Amino acid sequence: MRLREKIAVVTGGAQGIGRAVALGLAREGANIVVADLQADKAKAVVEEARAAGVESLAVETDVSREDSVKNLAEQTLNRFDRVDILINDAGIFPQARVAEMAEEDWDRVLDVNLGGNFLCCRAFVPSMRARKSGRVISIASGIAHTGAVSGAHYAASKAGIIGFIKALARELGPDGITANAICPSIIDTALPRGHRSAEEMKERLLRNPLGHVMQPEDLVGAVLFLASDAAAYITGQAVNVNCGTVMI
Amino acid sequence: MNDIALVTGGANGIGRAVSLKLASMGIIVAVADWDEKSADDTCAAIRSRGGNAESFRVDVTRAADVREVVAAVIQRHGRIDILANIAGGSIHRKRIEELSWSEWKEVVDINLKGTFLFCREAASIMIRQKRGRIVNTASNYGVTGSALRTPYSAAKAGIIGFSKSLALELAPHGILVNVVAPGPTDTPRVMANWTPELRKKREEEIPLGRTGRPDDLAEAFRFLCSDESAWMTGQTLHVNGGLVMP
Repeated sequence: MRLREKIAVVTGGAQGIGRAVALGLAREGANIVVADLQADKAKAVVEEARAAGVESLAVETDVSREDSVKNLAEQTLNRFDRVDILINDAGIFPQARVAEMAEEDWDRVLDVNLGGNFLCCRAFVPSMRARKSGRVISIASGIAHTGAVSGAHYAASKAGIIGFIKALARELGPDGITANAICPSIIDTALPRGHRSAEEMKERLLRNPLGHVMQPEDLVGAVLFLASDAAAYITGQAVNVNCGTVMI
Repeated sequence: MNDIALVTGGANGIGRAVSLKLASMGIIVAVADWDEKSADDTCAAIRSRGGNAESFRVDVTRAADVREVVAAVIQRHGRIDILANIAGGSIHRKRIEELSWSEWKEVVDINLKGTFLFCREAASIMIRQKRGRIVNTASNYGVTGSALRTPYSAAKAGIIGFSKSLALELAPHGILVNVVAPGPTDTPRVMANWTPELRKKREEEIPLGRTGRPDDLAEAFRFLCSDESAWMTGQTLHVNGGLVMP
């Protein structure tokens, strides 16, 4: 177990990629804090993590709100006294073309997807700096590289995560903390399913060189690698896990 | 059944670290290098740790040599599951107007053509197997360039483009092709050129405050040869302490 006794916070950990990552970390021995707006689903993930033999806590969190992230940090540090791994997965993807996009839609997407990264890193980095050790892993998206129709706000927020992570990596490097991003392609989760028909979804999911329908669990290997000591010399990188759809 | 890995440039530096790492996972390693003695030493080190390895002498720029080595590995083991192309080096550090054509060719052939020749032989084998992993070695200079290293930067950038194309060709056969791009790494060859002042200057540029160790790169190769990276192909993984963030 590579991550025994580590403390990991996973935002957006109640479902999809976040849930898969939280449980993957738990299977490697990490204690998990599941931060999500969906309190009931977060509690279900906590039960699964505990069944894997680790300690776990659910904290209802809106990552776009300072007071909510402050509460997340307080509850986490009261329970565990430190954080070793922060997984920024919380995100939303409503659809709108730029010409019709309401300002509040833009603000919401940027505040949750990118602002949430900032608020959570700001809250947890001091704990990592105090011990000169830590891992920040943010889930960006292949759309950061390609863009998407009706997704300019999403693309901006995910591309912004990559720039943010690079700057953060430079700030935290001297303290031995690494910061990286993972860019998945489309994955079979509720978020992309929300605006597609079943046939559209299947066609879209299979449209990659490896002909594989990506599942949330397919990202866990890369997360575990980046969270482990094996990746101590990798920082500021955007790692594309996408069956070859985008090759940077 | 143990996997079989063919590691070019496997005798020294990063290649040696990769050979040792893969062998520690129970993989049988064919160490292919033009430095026979060091290849034998690496194999002896692997065996002393309970692993299984044998050495092969090869000039990666000669198609006949490459064919012979691959054929010998197939004759012994029947397959190749992992090909790690690590043979290479910057060799000549000269301004472009001072470079001869033969010096240009030497660097490009050792780094890029050697990668092509081994991939060509391994690809048809892996296609028959319907499985395989290829990990090629680029460099941060393949992305940023480096003064006095035009052929090396070109070759390493070429490896990235080549690997993307190969990844697309081999994806339908379940074969993954990725690249590791090291930053400055403490190999014997590199360390022979460091002065204390140069090293300190370099370390100050690196966010993590140190140059790389061969084992940092070995871990990246391990990851790209493992199930953890089962859905990554055509990608370049930069292992450089944050020196370069493409």
